[in-house]
Amino acid sequence: MVDFLLFLLPASLVLIGALIVIFAQNPVHNAMGLVLTLISLALIYITLNATFVAMVQMLVYAGAVMTLFLFVIMMIGVDKKEQTKESIKGQSLLVSGVLMVLISLLIYVAINSNFKWDLWFEAVQFDIEGTPQLIAGTLFTAWIFPFEIISILLIVATAAAIALAYDTKKKKQNV
Amino acid sequence: MFEVTTDWYLTLAALLFSIGFFGMMIRRNALIMFMCIELMLNAVNLTFIAASKHFGTIDGQVAVFFVLVVAAAEVVVGLAIIVSIFRKQSSASVDVLNLSRG
Amino acid sequence: MENLILVPIFLPLVTAIFLFIQKNLIKESIVNIYTLSSSVISFLITSFIFVTFTIEKFESYSVVLYQWTESPKIDFSFTLDGLSALMLLLVSGLSIFIQQFSTSYMSKDENYRKYFVYFNFFVFSMLVLVMSSNFLIMFLGWELVGLSSYLLISFWSSKTSAAKAGNKAFILNRIGDFGFLVGLMFILNTFKSFDFQEVLHKANDIPVNTITVITLFLILGAFGKSAQFPLFSWLPDAMEGPTPASALIHAATMVTAGVFMLVRISPLLQYSETTSFVVLVIGLLTALISAFSAINQYDIKKVLAYSTISQLGFMFIAIGVGAYVAAVFHLLTHAFFKALLFLGAGAVIEALHHEQDIRNMGGLRKKMPLTAGMMGVGTLAISGIPPLAGFWSKDEILASIFSKGGIYLGFWALTLIAAVLTAFYMGRHWLLIFNSEPSKPIEDIHDAPKNMKFPLVVLGIFSIFIGFVNTPFFHGVEKLLHITLEEVEITHVPEGLTLVVLALISIGAGFAGLFLAYLIFGRNILQGKLFNNDGFKNLIKFTKEASFNVLYLNKIGNLVFVAGAKLFSKRVAVIIDSILIDGAVNLVANSFSKSAKITSSSQTGLVRNYVLYFGFFLIVLVAVFIITPLVGN
Repeated sequence: MVDFLLFLLPASLVLIGALIVIFAQNPVHNAMGLVLTLISLALIYITLNATFVAMVQMLVYAGAVMTLFLFVIMMIGVDKKEQTKESIKGQSLLVSGVLMVLISLLIYVAINSNFKWDLWFEAVQFDIEGTPQLIAGTLFTAWIFPFEIISILLIVATAAAIALAYDTKKKKQNV
Repeated sequence: MFEVTTDWYLTLAALLFSIGFFGMMIRRNALIMFMCIELMLNAVNLTFIAASKHFGTIDGQVAVFFVLVVAAAEVVVGLAIIVSIFRKQSSASVDVLNLSRG
Repeated sequence: MENLILVPIFLPLVTAIFLFIQKNLIKESIVNIYTLSSSVISFLITSFIFVTFTIEKFESYSVVLYQWTESPKIDFSFTLDGLSALMLLLVSGLSIFIQQFSTSYMSKDENYRKYFVYFNFFVFSMLVLVMSSNFLIMFLGWELVGLSSYLLISFWSSKTSAAKAGNKAFILNRIGDFGFLVGLMFILNTFKSFDFQEVLHKANDIPVNTITVITLFLILGAFGKSAQFPLFSWLPDAMEGPTPASALIHAATMVTAGVFMLVRISPLLQYSETTSFVVLVIGLLTALISAFSAINQYDIKKVLAYSTISQLGFMFIAIGVGAYVAAVFHLLTHAFFKALLFLGAGAVIEALHHEQDIRNMGGLRKKMPLTAGMMGVGTLAISGIPPLAGFWSKDEILASIFSKGGIYLGFWALTLIAAVLTAFYMGRHWLLIFNSEPSKPIEDIHDAPKNMKFPLVVLGIFSIFIGFVNTPFFHGVEKLLHITLEEVEITHVPEGLTLVVLALISIGAGFAGLFLAYLIFGRNILQGKLFNNDGFKNLIKFTKEASFNVLYLNKIGNLVFVAGAKLFSKRVAVIIDSILIDGAVNLVANSFSKSAKITSSSQTGLVRNYVLYFGFFLIVLVAVFIITPLVGN
């Protein structure tokens, strides 16, 4: 029972946050909704014994990334209201069509499987702890190659961001 | 029914993914579309963690690491692009960006 | 000894090649020596062959040069039998005299050597045609003769009219050759052979309908070559060529190839009443139309051209009623007096410095007595005045028609009218050239040089006496051909009193024509008071116009075929080319560009559309993964 409630609460928060993201009008509200989703997801990670990942998620995602988002929102302009009318012809029709297909597919699957997912592999009976030691043990041995590539990626991303945001006009103006 | 098995988490992840996807289709503001992408990525993270618990290995959580890093890098670059585009035009709508029209 | 017949055939070819390779390095006299000596040698050998042939009681023999296939038996071989011996002698003999005439007529021409190359090539081709022993070699000769004729007609090729006339001759011949070829295909299919011996002797085993079909196609070839209606308009135009060439080709030899071929296939032809009737009707039509057209032509050679067509019509009439011997006999006599008339015309043209319009001539008999006399002989011969040659042959034809009775009496009457017209226009021809008041001064005109006079005299003598080879008292030609035509039922002249009466009637016809010509053109009675009313004048004017324009047949033909073909091709060009072909090509190109436009409309450049596509295919992928295991369960 506790397990169930422990799952249900963060899960509902996740979904509520997601819905806020897609339906809010004010961009800051969207960002707040996303933060809610991220934090609730971290809670779920903790229930799944992935404690280190949950902490990293809260630090990096909900912390750094969302701050970046809010910076950009402030820079772009918060007070611009979006029109509700759809500007692309036929988009709403196609979206509803895709949605119909998706929903019908899900209903079909749900009915066919008697509301139970038949997973191909059996779940293991033991629990693993997502401790930093365990993660580091795998990360720096078996996954060392992607790790190095990721670091290069980060450098490249930084350089790219600087190059993109560089304003040549401003540089000529002052200094 | 009240036992929380792996497939519950997977369902939650799928739901989150579809919500993010739906949001991408209907929102016009570039920043909000980006946030929907973030939603989708987080859904994938949840799937990985649930799978890691299901199989009893730690590799799922290691994969989450990578996804996280990539997502962060992508946010950085994407926001830089959005900023430089919106220096040119004043509105934040993506519907006017059809230079790659064929 | 039998191989001797190859000499007269191939010696002209050797001469032609020899003269051809000399280019323009030799003088006229050298050319003369070569060509005249080769023709004299050919003629001597031919006479020798002919004499031995006669001694051997006209037994025929063949010489095989090269066997091509075994069955059907096609080989390159030549036969000497009565018919081919006669033609061989005729061609070789005439070629000597006409070549002698040419040395004088064509002298100082810049293409003198080329003329003799073509001339000898023609003699070779004609001999291949007449001496052939199967249909294929005959067709080879047929085509070569057409080619030589084209070369000689357009000899003065810088004149557009000559070039056009050569084209016309070749093309109309080609239409006939189409018939010949189809006939040949039918022959091969029916008889499985081309050889004359095999085809002609098996004729009575084949159903009549097949024979009719075969012969109907073959006579089309004869119509083209012998200028019968409707393929005759090339012959008057062929007068653009040099006159001696016209004398040989378009009077004596090439145009008679059609007659020759029909007599060759007479064992087949006799079984098909339909084809014989067609030959008769076409021949009669041709004879009448061309005789009518000849009465008001102004070119000295065109009158003779239409006369040739008309006389060929006579020969075709003879074949049509089954009088094959009469046709061959008329071929023989006609060759002589027509060649004579053409050479005489050539002498006149030469003397008047290439004046060819007879309205500008007159009174030449004082200055050119020999030519006038010989042309007079030719005129009398063609009119059928005894005892000249033309009388015997023409009378035989008329009598043969009469002897068939019934409806043929009507044909006899029409042929008689053609004979009257013949005498009339030939009389007019002679009178206008030699007798009437001169329209131009004639003081400095002299008679023909001796190289021209000699052939004229020789041909004149022949025109007088050659008729005696096939009189009712001595059937020389029939005896000559009796082995060739032994399976053929020949129509003969009636016996006794009927024959005499018919002869008198045809003599009367000839005299009537000549007398009428004398009245109109000698005494000018049309200018007199008797015929001074307007109605008659209009009638005369109408007749003259109709005659000159060949009953407007050429104009009609031009309108229907030439203009029609041009219109048709223009329409076809528009419809098929612009609409169909261009349309198809454009359709392919347009379909590509249109489909590209349609598919490229999916590239909107908008992110949200791409998200849509992404989503759609994502769902498809998911569905595949979900549904397949489920269905499998």
